[in-house]
Amino acid sequence: MNARHIRVIALQELRGLGREKTIVSAILLQLFIALFSSFLMVGLVAMYDPGALGPASADFRVGISGSGDQVEELMDARPGLHARSLPLGDAMAALREGRLSAVVYVPKTPPDADEPILVTVWLVRNDIRSSLVAASLKEVLGSFEQELREVRADRLKQRAVPLAFPEEASGGGYYEFLYGLLVPLLLFLPAIISGALVIDSITEEFQQKTLEVLLSTPVSFPDILRGKVLAAWVLVPIQAGSWMLLLAANGIDIASPAEMLLHASLIALVLILLGSLVALHYRERSTSQFVFSIGVVALMLAVLAVPENPVNLVVRMAVGAAGPAHWLMLGAEAAIAASIAVLVALLARRVIGPGALRNPDARSQEM
Amino acid sequence: MGIHSFCSSVGTIARWEVRRTLATTSRSLIPVTIVMVVLLLLVTGFAAEQGFHLTDGIYLAGTDDPQIASLVAGDPRFEVITGDRGELRQYASHLDLVILDGAVEAAPTERGDAALRTLSRDYEQLQSMIYRQEEDLFAAYPLWIDLRYVTVPVSLGTTEPAVTPEAGEAPTPAGPAETVDTPPATPAVTREELREDLARSGTGATQPLQRYTSLLTGEPATGEFQIPDQIAPPLPFDSLILVFVFIFPLYFVSQFFMMSVMDERLGRKGEILLATPLSPAAIVAGKALPYTGVMLAIALILILMTGVPPVAIAALLPVVLFFLAAALLIGMVSRSFRELSFLSILFSTMATAYLFLPSVFANIHVISLISPLTLIVLLIQGEAITLGQYLFSTVPVFLAGGILWAIGTANFTEERLFAYGPFMQRVTDFIGGVISIRHPYASLALLGAFSIPFVFMIQLLTLALFFNLPLRLSLPLLIIIAAFIEESAKSAGIIALYRIKPAFFTLPAILLSAAAVGVGFLAGEKLLLFATLAQITQTVFAQVLFLSIQSLWMPFLLHATGVAIVAAVLRLGGPRASGAGILAATAVHSVYNLVLIAGVAG
Repeated sequence: MNARHIRVIALQELRGLGREKTIVSAILLQLFIALFSSFLMVGLVAMYDPGALGPASADFRVGISGSGDQVEELMDARPGLHARSLPLGDAMAALREGRLSAVVYVPKTPPDADEPILVTVWLVRNDIRSSLVAASLKEVLGSFEQELREVRADRLKQRAVPLAFPEEASGGGYYEFLYGLLVPLLLFLPAIISGALVIDSITEEFQQKTLEVLLSTPVSFPDILRGKVLAAWVLVPIQAGSWMLLLAANGIDIASPAEMLLHASLIALVLILLGSLVALHYRERSTSQFVFSIGVVALMLAVLAVPENPVNLVVRMAVGAAGPAHWLMLGAEAAIAASIAVLVALLARRVIGPGALRNPDARSQEM
Repeated sequence: MGIHSFCSSVGTIARWEVRRTLATTSRSLIPVTIVMVVLLLLVTGFAAEQGFHLTDGIYLAGTDDPQIASLVAGDPRFEVITGDRGELRQYASHLDLVILDGAVEAAPTERGDAALRTLSRDYEQLQSMIYRQEEDLFAAYPLWIDLRYVTVPVSLGTTEPAVTPEAGEAPTPAGPAETVDTPPATPAVTREELREDLARSGTGATQPLQRYTSLLTGEPATGEFQIPDQIAPPLPFDSLILVFVFIFPLYFVSQFFMMSVMDERLGRKGEILLATPLSPAAIVAGKALPYTGVMLAIALILILMTGVPPVAIAALLPVVLFFLAAALLIGMVSRSFRELSFLSILFSTMATAYLFLPSVFANIHVISLISPLTLIVLLIQGEAITLGQYLFSTVPVFLAGGILWAIGTANFTEERLFAYGPFMQRVTDFIGGVISIRHPYASLALLGAFSIPFVFMIQLLTLALFFNLPLRLSLPLLIIIAAFIEESAKSAGIIALYRIKPAFFTLPAILLSAAAVGVGFLAGEKLLLFATLAQITQTVFAQVLFLSIQSLWMPFLLHATGVAIVAAVLRLGGPRASGAGILAATAVHSVYNLVLIAGVAG
């Protein structure tokens, strides 16, 4: 092992990345994923539960017909909805003219009747506001349902363990999305990208036939590999660290960022080494990337299906719910990385044998 | 060349491509694919059985009641400790929730709030599970809703009634009252039928994905009548996941095609192909044919396996073509394997986002049909698709794919394939490849018109991205970026033409080109708007057309001015000034839009 050779190779790799400016698209990609998933979350919540965004941003007039006094009271108590009681015929005409956003008809059934109460609601088809009104109406009708249920309570036979909740806090809606999805996503995306990067870098030497030139220099093949792995690896803590800083700047507190970076880096090393293994085996980009990406998806699914997995650990570290046991996990991760490194070294030795530079399949064809 | 000989050349190239792929990629590719797919299926099965343990143990709760403890611990997100009141009070600062005598108290932290929210959702679900089994169903669910929709023709630009909350009295309709039959007072189905409907819809709440969207408790309603919880239209979660299963294999196959295109450029291997008398169109089509076949075959297998209506393949077809066209171009412009990877990942992520975003709203609004994936979601939900809907959602994607394909084919030449300049320069050269020197204005106008689907896609995505920012920041930012995207798209043809023939840009030529691009861009824009509005309103074709013609002059002048600025800056400053030209045009465009919006708002 020659440290200077490794450094030269690594720097050459990084310079290549800088020259092509392709790393810009990698950063863009991660930013895109983060922003887009946040949009989906916030946007969906706004679409399905407008109240969650804070004070009502729009006002809707709802026509009420029949015996809807109780519903009208509930509706007026809710900001953003304005109940107007009027005859059904008028209400429907007003709905079609756009003077009302919805019409609600309540029949004259007594609250304690045996039969259910069927409320009819009319909305405008294909109007984006209809879904906002529907979401508000859902809450009002939910309260109405609760009141009716209390009237009929003596007819219910089973009860859940009684739990009394305080008046619900407004916050907390995005907590699990932020810590349970966005943080691990941003922490592990750079690792996956680096895994793909090292495959490109290794297979390119084989397919562009530049490896022969490189090997005619004093640099040994294992050192070339080490340099390539190193270049892909150093990018991980830089990117993941920047995301952590960016999250912190946005007021998202992360409990133990340094330890989380350690875990992310070691897991990234495992992925990069796996990528090298695949690339050395196939020496051809399409197959290597295909096997690697399916493999990574399968690996992630498998890991996530196991309780106490490293990703879960990182999430718990982010919220401050992990104990010192994570050092054990860190040791396990290092051991896995080391054993794959040994495999990579063994496979690398096969590459520099006589006639080994050809495609493995071409070699087997000769035999 | 006749259509017959074209087809036979395509066939020749396709056969050659299959042989070549099997020879260069590892021969174990097919067994490896089978092994990987089996592995993926096994792991998916395992994960589906075990559930995702991503957010396990992120909350800590303490209670004095073992029965409550087991209830809370039913959700793996909670770790629960039991103890007596004194012990719990002592540890309270470490606990997110303290539950004493059935009263829940949350720590005054964000995590405490989130824990409280999570537990109360869990509790709601538990309760509805108990209610559903209640013997007297109408005591548990006393209220049923009959949701009906009325279709209202949209009147564009006319008086949208402002809602005035202070107006206490009921609105009186301008027209006569309608005659409406009094709706029934009880559902016209039996209690057991309603119970079955509830049981059928009750599965949605336990989806692991819905964990993240704990706010979205709306359950899909399967019956005619709904309980209040079911009113809000449900997210088509299951269908979306199924759609993803259809899209996923497309990425991999297009990766192989991309690499095959790139491979022609390694060591100038493609020279042999180009030296044959076959046309570039036949070569490109022939190379793509096997991949198209594989994609469609996989889709067909998935359709047979999942029981999705076979028509879904028609909705998938434009997506397949779009992916292949993009793969062709990416394979042609990339200078290294890394660039190939980055561009392809970036493209597939953005294309997925664009295609999936609308289909999330499949149950809310017809505009979601701008993505062909919405068609698949609707098909999965058992709804019928009309030809009009099919055309509306697939024509833009077909068009975008076709344009990319045309650019790729026109540039499949020795000169372009084996050149390795800076990235932006290569992109410009590719656009230049489709400009006809003999008909420069027509080419520019067509380029302007054909850039619309892409401008639209990118603007929709930016809109989505800036949604998170506060409105005061996001609105000006959006205006500026939208202007920048439009100006870049419009000047692409001009910059490409300048690279081919700098002397072309005399003053009259600048003005004429600006007018040509302006007309093309505006025509494309209005056509898209027209198609979109026609789909929504269905009836008011003439009105839309009339309304937009009235106000056609101002946008035309705006679009043409932007192009003229870029062309003039290019003429004065040379090719390096193109960036400055686009920025200047963006500034003018943004100011115009800001003034317009300020005028409307004020």
